[in-house]
Amino acid sequence: MQKETGIKIPTNDLIKYAILSYWSIFWLFNIVDKFIGGSLFLWVGRDRFAQFQKFFASAGLESPIIADGALVIAAALEVFAFVFFTGALIHFFKKRQDTARSWFFVGIVFTLITFTVFSIGDHVFGDRFELLEHTLFWFLTLFSWIVFVRLKNENMSAEIVIQKRQFIMASIVIVMLVSASSISIFNYNANYFSRRTEAIEAEKVGENIYKVSFPFLGGSTVFEKSIEKFKNSHPIKKINHIYTVPNPLRLKKADGLIFYILTEDRR
Amino acid sequence: MKERTIIRFSILIFWTFFWGLSVVDKIIPDVHNLWVGKDFFALFVKFFGSLGLKNPIFAASALAFVSALEGVNFVFYLFALINFSKRKFLEAEKWFFKAVFTSMILFSLFSIADQVFGDRFQLLEHGLFWLILIASWILFKYVSSAEDNTISIKGSKSYKIALFIGFCLTALTSISIVNFSNKTFSNVDSPVSGVEVVDGVYKFNFPFLADKLVLEKTMNTFKKNHSDLKVNYIYTGPSELNSKKKTHMLLYVFTEKTGI
Repeated sequence: MQKETGIKIPTNDLIKYAILSYWSIFWLFNIVDKFIGGSLFLWVGRDRFAQFQKFFASAGLESPIIADGALVIAAALEVFAFVFFTGALIHFFKKRQDTARSWFFVGIVFTLITFTVFSIGDHVFGDRFELLEHTLFWFLTLFSWIVFVRLKNENMSAEIVIQKRQFIMASIVIVMLVSASSISIFNYNANYFSRRTEAIEAEKVGENIYKVSFPFLGGSTVFEKSIEKFKNSHPIKKINHIYTVPNPLRLKKADGLIFYILTEDRR
Repeated sequence: MKERTIIRFSILIFWTFFWGLSVVDKIIPDVHNLWVGKDFFALFVKFFGSLGLKNPIFAASALAFVSALEGVNFVFYLFALINFSKRKFLEAEKWFFKAVFTSMILFSLFSIADQVFGDRFQLLEHGLFWLILIASWILFKYVSSAEDNTISIKGSKSYKIALFIGFCLTALTSISIVNFSNKTFSNVDSPVSGVEVVDGVYKFNFPFLADKLVLEKTMNTFKKNHSDLKVNYIYTGPSELNSKKKTHMLLYVFTEKTGI
């Protein structure tokens, strides 16, 4: 008989930990996002105040107090959802299964209220994409609760144990794959990171029409440097217009940003 | 209250508001005070126009038909909710089934239309709503009462601690939100300062709060501060140039000396 190796924790418990951790972290980061507000070093997040302000202004409510009030209510719901999910996680860790379930349920109720309120807002402000997003999260919340309740605590039969030989084989394959992908990534970084800042040569495609094809890594720095390079290499040309090729004219995901510089000769 | 009852109630509340507000959106066709909504008439006119049916009677009829179905649908949800509130659970279940079934018919019709009009994103959207509806029904009907549990955390020490932490965190977050709002609200009507990134080319980094009024103020301020420059061209930086995605907008202004 082959030897078995692995962690001996019931799979049901692991899934429950995963559910509790997911929702605790989900709401924690939402609160942090509200707390920070804008973009900082190491945090981009979403400017929720600006988003709410624009939403309410579009409905004729331009005072920032309305956006502030709505954001505070949303933050309160998120805070209590976070507190109860984290409480559930702590109780579950301390093997108080019934208490953990009750705490988790209160967290679920706060989450359901939050997403229902957001969905109502999406209808009012006409944001159909966010309506889909919030409905999906609403459903995930319900689904998480059902999974949590359905997974029985006494089920110890399924444990994460695997045969030693298979474990070694899998480890070898993993090491090889990780090495191959890491070498490829670092190699690409060494050879192509310059695309993030390097100016691009404009290609003449017609009389006073020049094409600039961006690499995917290119950003505003590349744009500015490319324009500077173009102006330096074509001092007698005056830029009249820049036309960005719209998505339908691009080759799906294969093309990065493409724009044309339209010029005329300086008098 | 029992967990199962709260979950069922949440499901009914969500879908009743969902369809109720969808009906309101059809009744209020345009942007009004306190209501933005979506212009479904314009959407339907464009869809039918793309098929070659340019007469608005087609779009209006289709929209009226959809609105009628949504109205019926909403009434079913509303009755399910009312019956549930009165603890007539069997009646509520019957109404909810009718509501879910008509909603599924509606989303099936929408999905057919999405295929005809070639809108794959809406097809995904309607497919997902359809799936969530079925799942809602399964959850509503088949969550066994044997799994039911009464919430029993009130009065415990940890519950009081949780409430205290919750209120403290809410207060802290609220202070931070109001501070941020006070600091940034001026962006709504303050002109943006430009930076000369290339000789004669100025970059303007617009905050998320800015709108068309900010653009107008920015251009006027720029012209006032640079009376020796003539604006040749304004280029809106596409999303590929923007590392902060939706949170701000880049604008480049191309100028030349007026020669005065």
